[in-house]
Amino acid sequence: MNNFREQLADLVDQIRSLREIIITNIVLIGQTPAPTFREKKRSKLFMERLAEFQVDEITTDGYRNPIGIIRGTDASKPPIFVLAHMDTFYEKVHPLNYMIKADTITGAGLLDNSVGVGVMTSLPAIFKKLELKFESDIVLAGTIQSIGKGNLRGVRHLLKTWPTPIRGGVCIEGIELGRLNYYSDGMIRGEIGCIISDESKRLSEYTPNAIIIINEVINKILNLKLSQRPRSRIVIGRINGGANHGRLAPEANLGFEIRSDSYRVVKDLFAEIRDIVEGIGHRYEAEINLKTISNLKAARLKHNHPLVKEAAAVLNALGIKPVTKPTESALSIFLSRKIPAVTLGVTHGENRYKDNATMEIEPMYKGIAQIIGVLKAIDSGVCDEQ
Amino acid sequence: MSNNWLDKNTFHYSDFKDLNRLVAEKEKKGLKISLCLPTLNEEKTIAKEIIIMKSELMTRYPLLDEIVVVDSGSSDQTREIARSYGADVYQATDILPQLEQFKGKGENLWKALYITKGDIIIYLDADIKNIHHRFAYGLLGPLLLYDNIRFVKAFYDRPISIGKKKMRPTGGGRVTELVIRPLFSLFFPELTQLIQPLSGEYAGFREVFERIPFPIGYGVETSMNMDIYEKWGLDVMAQVDLDRRIHRNQDTKALGRMAFVILKTFINRKIRLGLIDLKDDLYDEMIQYNLVRDQYEPDIFKIEGYERPPIIEIPDYREKFNVERPEVQKYLEA
Repeated sequence: MNNFREQLADLVDQIRSLREIIITNIVLIGQTPAPTFREKKRSKLFMERLAEFQVDEITTDGYRNPIGIIRGTDASKPPIFVLAHMDTFYEKVHPLNYMIKADTITGAGLLDNSVGVGVMTSLPAIFKKLELKFESDIVLAGTIQSIGKGNLRGVRHLLKTWPTPIRGGVCIEGIELGRLNYYSDGMIRGEIGCIISDESKRLSEYTPNAIIIINEVINKILNLKLSQRPRSRIVIGRINGGANHGRLAPEANLGFEIRSDSYRVVKDLFAEIRDIVEGIGHRYEAEINLKTISNLKAARLKHNHPLVKEAAAVLNALGIKPVTKPTESALSIFLSRKIPAVTLGVTHGENRYKDNATMEIEPMYKGIAQIIGVLKAIDSGVCDEQ
Repeated sequence: MSNNWLDKNTFHYSDFKDLNRLVAEKEKKGLKISLCLPTLNEEKTIAKEIIIMKSELMTRYPLLDEIVVVDSGSSDQTREIARSYGADVYQATDILPQLEQFKGKGENLWKALYITKGDIIIYLDADIKNIHHRFAYGLLGPLLLYDNIRFVKAFYDRPISIGKKKMRPTGGGRVTELVIRPLFSLFFPELTQLIQPLSGEYAGFREVFERIPFPIGYGVETSMNMDIYEKWGLDVMAQVDLDRRIHRNQDTKALGRMAFVILKTFINRKIRLGLIDLKDDLYDEMIQYNLVRDQYEPDIFKIEGYERPPIIEIPDYREKFNVERPEVQKYLEA
């Protein structure tokens, strides 16, 4: 494996020689809209592109996750998964227009996660160019329904129903190059909605205001005691409500996320928020409800797991400084099923959630080399010994 | 008028998506193919066109032999970006510099004939936001697979339903429907079968393009349709549905100027063919009015409508392409 790691820097130039193919895949995939639950067009395009690159087997699983399989040389080895989520936060369904300049690509949804899917789509052509063979089958999986209310349903189904053991996995995210995620926090995302019904307007002495009620909820949440060990935090991430400047708000919504490296702590905090919501609902006689949008259990590889060590060595060999943080992505589904996996970022970028999300082209070639390095490490057995 | 041509010579790009077949046909016939992109300040779209065409039709399927950008003097990064992605980039003024210089799309297309090597030349506008390689292979398909077809024009979806699953375009843009189609209906009813005669994407054999004149501006598409039709008839022409095209929308005044040039080109063609006789020369100013502080003020655009002769008449061209063949001599004498 050390030998291959030493060659990685040389691979970057060869990967760069496929610049047009890689960028074309990113752009064609990225310009095909794929809001969560409406990924069909992008899935179809992904499969068409894999077919054009003569991937051995192209199919969908029972949940319609599109999958391509590059057959390995040793049928006795379990497959290695490469995974990028198909859906984007971007809600529009009409075709998007990406712009390419000398050093950058710009377009909505690019960084999360058109780059990831575009790079994954390019892997068959890159393997061919580099004359790379793997013992294991390489499963290229574009998972649907990942973001927000999708709650990682696609990857959950894919891994739950996959008929054989899985050797290891690499999840690809657009940014940031250098991220090396190998653990995920426990997490619950919730939404609190408040609606002032006509009845409560009639019965109350003072007509309640949904925004004020949600504000009350926020104040109570901010008073909650958060433990330092296990680490825990609550993020108030999204709020909206009201109709216009001069009218008492008839409804308001609050989106929040609880995270901790202990899922028990997450659940306890969620229960406390539920109590707050119920209490305030009684006090104001308003319809106020709490919904779970998505949840994840905490899971991790040990920091000295051979996959983590080897992945860090691959990044270092390419001159990329590894940055480790928890992630709430598909990685946690791999880890919770005891499948060793890491998440890697492809390149650098900015304006991740804006229409003008922009990626740098040049760092991407190293980003792709690191993915290949980690796949080779898994194929050489770093996940087999645990 | 029969609609026979419309049925026989109208294709959909998906008819030609077997790119291996197109490559085999190209190789069998020993043809070279050039893609030409005329540009003026297209830094936002040029890279995407070059990259996608290069990836799909050069690296993966060897259909194109070169991608050439002919630029009218962009003040933005168009030329630098195009060069960085491997296109051959020329300033129009550097091509045949001994000739009088003009500026316009038609000028770029005409000069491209001098610097490209292809037996077939594909012209694509450089401002297509949803560029896809179908724009090129769709136009190439009929030229490679049908021996009688020498010129292919694109048209695009503005869909209406004509059955449970079938969608068909209704026609062209505003200038097409308000200017060109009425003119064709009056004078060349057969040409009304061209769904979008003003589309900026077309391809053809060099021997066709080198023998027709090129107006330097907007009139180039109109004159091209008429000249090819007059010289070789409708059967050498075909049109291909390239699905949807997204590009810059122009305001009504700009369309008015476009219509002016097209009308002038059309009328000049009719005069040259001896089909109409005007007592006076046409004016060359388009006059539009703006309301400024309760006063109407004229906005005058001088549009002279220069035209390049068939490039085969240029000695430098004949020398470069070694076209002193007997049939060329015969053509020149005629």
